[in-house]
Amino acid sequence: MVGQVTRYTLMLLRAYLRDRSALFFSVVLPLMFMLIFGALNFGAFGHVSVGVDDEAQNADSARFTTILQGVATFSIRTGAVADEKASLLKGDRDLVIVIPKDFRLAPTPAGLAATAPALTVYANAGRAQQASVGQAILAQVIDQLTFAVNRTSPIVAMRVESVNARELRYVDFLVPGILAMTIMQLGISGVAFGLVAAKQRGVLRRIMATPFPPRRFLAAQVVERLILAVVQTLILLGVAVLVFKVQVVGSLPELLAVTILGSVVFLCLGFALAGWATTENQVAPLTQIVTLPQLFLSGVFFATDAVPAVVRPLTNLLPLTFLADALREISTSGATLWDVRGAVLGLLVWSAIGFALAVRLFRFETG
Amino acid sequence: MPSIIAVTDLVKRYGPLEAVRGISFEVGEGEIFGLLGPNGAGKTTTVEILEGLRRADGGSAVVAGVDVMRDPQAVKDRIGVQLQASAFPENFLAKEVIDLFALFYGRRVDAMALLAAVDLTDKAHSRQEKLSGGQRQRLSIAVAMVNEPRVLFLDEPTTGLDPQARRNLWELIRRIRARGTTVFLTTHYLDEAEILCDRVAVMDGGRIIALDAPGALVAALLARGFTKPALQQQANLEDVFLDLTGHELRED
Repeated sequence: MVGQVTRYTLMLLRAYLRDRSALFFSVVLPLMFMLIFGALNFGAFGHVSVGVDDEAQNADSARFTTILQGVATFSIRTGAVADEKASLLKGDRDLVIVIPKDFRLAPTPAGLAATAPALTVYANAGRAQQASVGQAILAQVIDQLTFAVNRTSPIVAMRVESVNARELRYVDFLVPGILAMTIMQLGISGVAFGLVAAKQRGVLRRIMATPFPPRRFLAAQVVERLILAVVQTLILLGVAVLVFKVQVVGSLPELLAVTILGSVVFLCLGFALAGWATTENQVAPLTQIVTLPQLFLSGVFFATDAVPAVVRPLTNLLPLTFLADALREISTSGATLWDVRGAVLGLLVWSAIGFALAVRLFRFETG
Repeated sequence: MPSIIAVTDLVKRYGPLEAVRGISFEVGEGEIFGLLGPNGAGKTTTVEILEGLRRADGGSAVVAGVDVMRDPQAVKDRIGVQLQASAFPENFLAKEVIDLFALFYGRRVDAMALLAAVDLTDKAHSRQEKLSGGQRQRLSIAVAMVNEPRVLFLDEPTTGLDPQARRNLWELIRRIRARGTTVFLTTHYLDEAEILCDRVAVMDGGRIIALDAPGALVAALLARGFTKPALQQQANLEDVFLDLTGHELRED
């Protein structure tokens, strides 16, 4: 029995490797997404783009600019204020700092702060998060310069425990999302398209005319796709680590465990859709209706913060949200399965729902 | 001649429609038996009941010693089938299709020998979806033989084939029968039935309206005083076609 399922699974895998379009969708397309979105570096949270117009052009202003350039979070560009403000309007700058002509780094007499030179700061309201981080860092830089120049020390010391010391790049954020997306596509589209085509062309009928039990047929179909999901995840992670220098902080076995759980959810949904749709023409719109909204609402490419707050309670319950969150937490923050138990529980509930739907809807015969 | 298929008062309904209305017949071991009839006569429904693919609503059917009403799954092991409008999985080579179905029957077979028996040795390493219509029909007959069946069911095996491929397939069917396998086929090509079948049943509206050897059916018709108005021809257009284009298979 097990031998029959195993051998059938191996035959399916061999046929899959010959299928160029399947390979394209499961490996090449996700890599292209990684390459394109990774290169675009959308929403680079780690960086604040700062334009500096040094109108003073003196030793002190040069020292100040150098200090700003030393801040890892800042990427500094210098230019005339008009040009820099234009860049800010286009969204290329988060902050524009104008160093006034009277700029100098001299001790300020007590009570006469008003005489200190004033920086003019323009903030990009469209990228409020980056702008406020930039302003906070700028204030810190000024404080430290003040203590140094006035030869005083802060009256209260602050020790910050750094929670996420590592700088999170967009590609680190993106890769777990892409993994979740490909797991969903392999499950839903792979199963629904493949099985409806097999049903419509009479492949399933032909197999059902043999004594091969349907349970073994389904077992091999499921095992084949779970293996594919794991291999696909390993390939994509490998490329992400080697080419895009993505750091996977959490444990690989736990990442793969979530991959398998997510695959089970989407395989069940795929079988349900394959039962619901009777022709190949119906499959395309049905799978799009199920996958497209999740692609945009479940935090694959962008953080779910971007989703309107009104619908967030709903989108937080989507299976792809649970999958992407769990993979991302493990990959970027080193979370354990126990840390992401909420998402794991969500996936377990979805797999139960999906299984019930698949059993109810999937049929070997059309009509 | 012992019977290998025995059907008694078989009934199948689809809602209000009675597709098969109490038919009875027997097929002898080693026969080539034809089930004829216009589209919608109930041929395919009857065959699918005998193959264990559909449940009948009444009557009985015993195929190769198995009561298909009681155990439709068991009959599948003893028969070979070629279904109408069916296909093999994509991205499988012809040889792998044989291995795949051998696996489904829980058997180990010599795939190359089976392919050789249907003249497909040189196509063993081609993807099955790349085969021509006639080659695919031959492959599906090879697949139907992997479990050494006692009865081979062929549902409209030559539909869509050119005259050369049809003759080639008839030859193959005769070879299979010569090895002792009973062949049960449906067709709506009457020349095919006349040339190939030992006996034919004519079905219409869910009933069998005639059952005998083709020659006996023709003789009975003539005895009823039937005459063809047309002049008896010594050859027909198909003979011309084959004379011009030869009997060689046109595939690849």
